[in-house]
Amino acid sequence: MSSQKKDEAKTIIEDVLEKPSSRRMFLKGASIAAAAGSAALAASYMSAADPASAGELKLRWQEYFKKNYRLMSQEEKDETVTRLERLAKFQDNMDVQIGTEPPTEKVLFGYAFNITRCEGFMECVTACVKENNLDRKTNTQYIRIFEMEPGQLDPSTGDGQYYHKVPVDDKFYMGVQCFHCENAPCIKACPTKATWKEPDGIVVVDYNWCIGCRYCQAACPYYGRRFNWGKGEVPKEEITTKQHYLGNRKRPMGKMEKCTFCIQRTRKGKLPACVEACPTGARVFGNLLDPDSEIRYVLKHKKVFRMKEEIGTQPKFWYFID
Amino acid sequence: MSCPCCANDSAARVCAQTITFDQQPHMKTNSKFFILSIISVLLMFVLLRDGTVAVASEKSLLEEIKGINEPFDSRSVKQVRPVTQKTVLAKEEYQGGTFRVLARKHAIERYKCSSCHLDKPVLVTQGLELTHGNVIINHGRKGDELGCIDCHHPDDRNYLEGKKGRKVDFDHSYQLCGQCHFRQKRDWLGGAHGKRVSNWAGDRVVYNCASCHDPHSPRFEKRFPATYSVPLN
Repeated sequence: MSSQKKDEAKTIIEDVLEKPSSRRMFLKGASIAAAAGSAALAASYMSAADPASAGELKLRWQEYFKKNYRLMSQEEKDETVTRLERLAKFQDNMDVQIGTEPPTEKVLFGYAFNITRCEGFMECVTACVKENNLDRKTNTQYIRIFEMEPGQLDPSTGDGQYYHKVPVDDKFYMGVQCFHCENAPCIKACPTKATWKEPDGIVVVDYNWCIGCRYCQAACPYYGRRFNWGKGEVPKEEITTKQHYLGNRKRPMGKMEKCTFCIQRTRKGKLPACVEACPTGARVFGNLLDPDSEIRYVLKHKKVFRMKEEIGTQPKFWYFID
Repeated sequence: MSCPCCANDSAARVCAQTITFDQQPHMKTNSKFFILSIISVLLMFVLLRDGTVAVASEKSLLEEIKGINEPFDSRSVKQVRPVTQKTVLAKEEYQGGTFRVLARKHAIERYKCSSCHLDKPVLVTQGLELTHGNVIINHGRKGDELGCIDCHHPDDRNYLEGKKGRKVDFDHSYQLCGQCHFRQKRDWLGGAHGKRVSNWAGDRVVYNCASCHDPHSPRFEKRFPATYSVPLN
């Protein structure tokens, strides 16, 4: 009996050893094991961060494997938006509406800034912070207003941190933000193609594809980009709930962000928040391809200039004087 | 050395090369030469194409934009919400079309003025309440400020009065302001002064003069900025 058993065991071992095994089969087995391992790792990392329900974990899992926004079909965009909205409900108990409005045909956004009219009240800055759900803890601002000495046109010579009664006599004020260059150096610098120029001229960031390397920040000659150092802390009652996937939705920590000409507003025909908030009418916004638009009037009838024009970035942001 | 077709030195050399190849009828149809000539022709094409691209990018964005004169219907933008504030059709033209301005009359607290400005007698004790003691005029040159009837109609207080005596409606005060501030009015009509209400698309609705400026003291007062900035990174 015992010898019989021994024989059986021997045959099983021989079977396994003599079974035809190929490189392909080995790799298949190895990859399955690796996937299982990484899945376990990711799951453990997620649950280690904070206790979350199974539904939320599932959504986060699906979010993790989505495509770059430019490669998504409309269906996939709708799916990810629904997931993000549900995640916002899970995590912050917020009801947000995230849009994916596409660009309108024959629209190219342009911006003009009247340096004669701006008086440095910085209403635009507060409106921008509010509209774009910017981190209140690190005091992130997309717009910066410089108090300039007469005759100077380079903001690096101005004072960007003034806090006194404005306007001061014999000074003028110059606002700087992302200029949405036609030939944007930041896009070329991005190693993951997480930032690009939309057909209506807005330079946007896919916050989920950004790896936070900050090459674009280094490449931008206008200091137009901001790095999200924190988790984006916004008081719940101040959160703007009308959002856009490429605009003011909640950004993960460690991503690049910037002015998007308020894409969630402008794609619906509204003015950016800074323009609407400006008390002096120093900011002009419109469609560059519309010969009857205000921005075209400014370009046609006013003395305009752009910052660092000689480096060939072709910003769509003009300064003008009355 | 320059090429008549492309004015490019390096391309010209290639052109010359191809021409010499073509102009030698007695040369043996050597396959090596044939391939070389094809390569040089291809090279010429590449160089020529590069040349035109370089020229195109030299044209500035501004020039390109100014060249576009195709009309754009801003009402074609989807999801535009119409302005909810009360507006009136302006009595001026903007780029050959009509536009609307924010109405003013409903915002004036004591309009209609004729409800008080009658020939009826008034008690002295009501004087403080009924006169415009709160209005401080800071409009015009220092020491030579404007008076009430410089703008308000002396006989019909429901209207303003233009310099030539015509009645100007409160909703259309730009007609009055523009008499002196004609540069501002020109810019306002075009869109370089003042601004549109809420939308860049859809029907054009702009702020009226008195929506932003207090007509009795039009200059903005000095005040502290709404926020402050911290150093970048």
